[in-house]
Amino acid sequence: MGMLRIISNRGDERLRWNEQDVLAGDAEALAAIREAERIFARERARGATAFRVEAGKPVERLEQFDAQVSQIVMVPRVVGG
Amino acid sequence: MNMATLVGVLIVVLLPLSLWAFITESYHKRPGAKRRAGELLRAVLTAEQYGQLIQQGYLDIPSPSDPERVYRVPRSPGQVQVREKGHVTKWLCLQPFERVPDADLVVIHKLMIEADEQTYLQKANSITPIAVSLSNDPV
Repeated sequence: MGMLRIISNRGDERLRWNEQDVLAGDAEALAAIREAERIFARERARGATAFRVEAGKPVERLEQFDAQVSQIVMVPRVVGG
Repeated sequence: MNMATLVGVLIVVLLPLSLWAFITESYHKRPGAKRRAGELLRAVLTAEQYGQLIQQGYLDIPSPSDPERVYRVPRSPGQVQVREKGHVTKWLCLQPFERVPDADLVVIHKLMIEADEQTYLQKANSITPIAVSLSNDPV
């Protein structure tokens, strides 16, 4: 399972997809991936930064959507306080 | 100014302010937002980091580039301490453009420091304590 989490003032919004179903050509799974890609691109355009967050691995910045990543966390635009 | 005018002015000024404060407060205290932020925090921190945050009220994040530097992130909104050899050398202030639950702030600091320390330092406003600043001045 993959998950996109977008941090916002409502906590974090989550979108999940099943990679196995995507590979099997399942229409719902493909639609979920397309939606995740669309939201990823929209948030990036708003200045958000994406991170690959997976257990046991160092956190990495993610420039492009990757459906193979089990958890992507998007952080809203930040400024010096 | 008579009493009726004064009351009218107060209503016009105070009512929108009270409404705004109520909306902001209830928005920020949404149980769903806080719960989700808490879940994300647990998912992102190791058990050890989570324990430190709960017990000590802050999270120490080692610098990926400097083994002697640690970023001390408070559990509640506030400045992040930059500590080197156990001493505070700087305070950093960085915040998201939109208001987010407190637990999400900790997540934001952790992810940025660990994955993109240079951008984090570029974006944050920094304050150097006077004692550190004086000790670094040429004699």
